[in-house]
Amino acid sequence: MASEKPLPELGELNTPFWHAARAGTLAMQECGDCHHIRYPISHVCPKCLSETYGWTALSGRGTVFSSIVFHQVYHPAYKGEVPYNVSIVQLDEGPRMVSNVVGVPPSEVAVGQRVAVVFDPVNDEIAIPRFRPADD
Amino acid sequence: MAFLTDRIAIVGVGASEQGRLPGSTSLTLATTAFKRALDDCGLDKSEIDGLLTMPGSASPEGSLNYLRMGETLGIDPAYTGSMTMGGGTAGALIQMGAMAIACGLATNVACVFGDAAKTGGSRFSRASGGTDSWGIWGMFAAAANSAVAASRHMALYGTTSRQLGEVAVACRRHASMNPSAVMREPITIEDHQASRMIVEPFHLLDCCLISDGGVCVILTAAERAKDLKQRPVLIAGMGQGYTTQNLGREDWWYVPHQKDALDRAFAMAGLGPKDVDVAQLYDNFTMSVLLWLEHAGFCGLGEAGPFVEGGRIQLGGELPVNTAGGNLSESYMEGWLHVVEGVRQMRGACGERQVEGAEVCLVTGRGMTLNCANAMLLHPA
Ligand SMILES: [Zn+2]
Repeated sequence: MASEKPLPELGELNTPFWHAARAGTLAMQECGDCHHIRYPISHVCPKCLSETYGWTALSGRGTVFSSIVFHQVYHPAYKGEVPYNVSIVQLDEGPRMVSNVVGVPPSEVAVGQRVAVVFDPVNDEIAIPRFRPADD
Repeated sequence: MAFLTDRIAIVGVGASEQGRLPGSTSLTLATTAFKRALDDCGLDKSEIDGLLTMPGSASPEGSLNYLRMGETLGIDPAYTGSMTMGGGTAGALIQMGAMAIACGLATNVACVFGDAAKTGGSRFSRASGGTDSWGIWGMFAAAANSAVAASRHMALYGTTSRQLGEVAVACRRHASMNPSAVMREPITIEDHQASRMIVEPFHLLDCCLISDGGVCVILTAAERAKDLKQRPVLIAGMGQGYTTQNLGREDWWYVPHQKDALDRAFAMAGLGPKDVDVAQLYDNFTMSVLLWLEHAGFCGLGEAGPFVEGGRIQLGGELPVNTAGGNLSESYMEGWLHVVEGVRQMRGACGERQVEGAEVCLVTGRGMTLNCANAMLLHPA
């Protein structure tokens, strides 16, 4: 049986994130009280414990915070993918997220490099946000 | 003097065989270790009234392990429980046991761990993450978290893969002097550089082993320890630190809570890094040792790469680290053997790998997604 890559399980909390991504926008939760933009997705603001929030569109721009390259296959669905890049991206609006920098050889991604989001459609509901090198 | 300083002694340590042990289970390995620790200190099983346990990665009962272990060993304890902090568990349980004794809830506490991770097929490949797993982006396994730290440390401070290799070489050299170690063939920096990539920047030889084995550590009050078989080893100071935030905290990768744990332990003991003669530093990956060295103040921020060069952390060097071989070369007992080696160094019982005249040993542990850190300062009574 062919194993499949892990995909998000859409629930009440994370559906807006993934539907925004499918429509081509990187959106995150902004606290309705203290305006902290938070990630990972949570029902509550970790700064002020407010449960009021809205979804705000981000610029999709950021900087590579750390960059690693998987050579070991830890999940059978990634057997044909190694070596591949995983980077922590420092988004301009504050949050950091795990993603992949694509469009360059995986080992050539440099910490400090500017990147911009791209969306990799998987199905009708989901597109995975990844990043490409950017000039600014 | 702080309330807990020198109040609790580690009086018995025991370990099973280590490595690939087909037919063993976490319970059989823990049982062997428990019996050996009892023999080591001379206490009878009936005198153990505290039982603190860590479930193995291959233990189906998970955090109910304390019940399974108590039933297996035939102990109805006055005080018990299990904890699941990965490589932070050994230190956290020992500190909990120390508090239980000091507060009068138990007299003699056995802290026990067994795992058949090697034959059980544990690969420590779980993906972290919150509402959405990091596995969606292909980020799996414990190696990834420490590789993130290494990548950023390299970018900010110029740390090199060869410097990480110094840690691997030191641990292997020490393991070569340890008949119980799993990997005893000495290696060079070139061997490290030539080993295959796992998660860049980590080569295979940056990564700890996966092992079957069991370890037990027995504690009692310092005044009672005098009547037992071994020279007591006192806990001069202990401390813990945690971050529950991962990406939510900008310096998560640098594990600042390790420094908190160390500062707390040093303060309790009234000691500082200059007082430490030998250190057992949690080494799930080579990078972790560099971070401990900086956080403990053996060197400055960003300076651990050059610090480990030239054999400084090898036996005979300024600060011998992981003198039994560590998680990298002795066996991956998630830090439990670091405590055992710390105790044996303080007893002066390490033979060829004894640090002559050592009077203070630092032992550290860290687990989960870099979240759970602790430190202890040991010295002989
Ligand atoms: Zn808020």
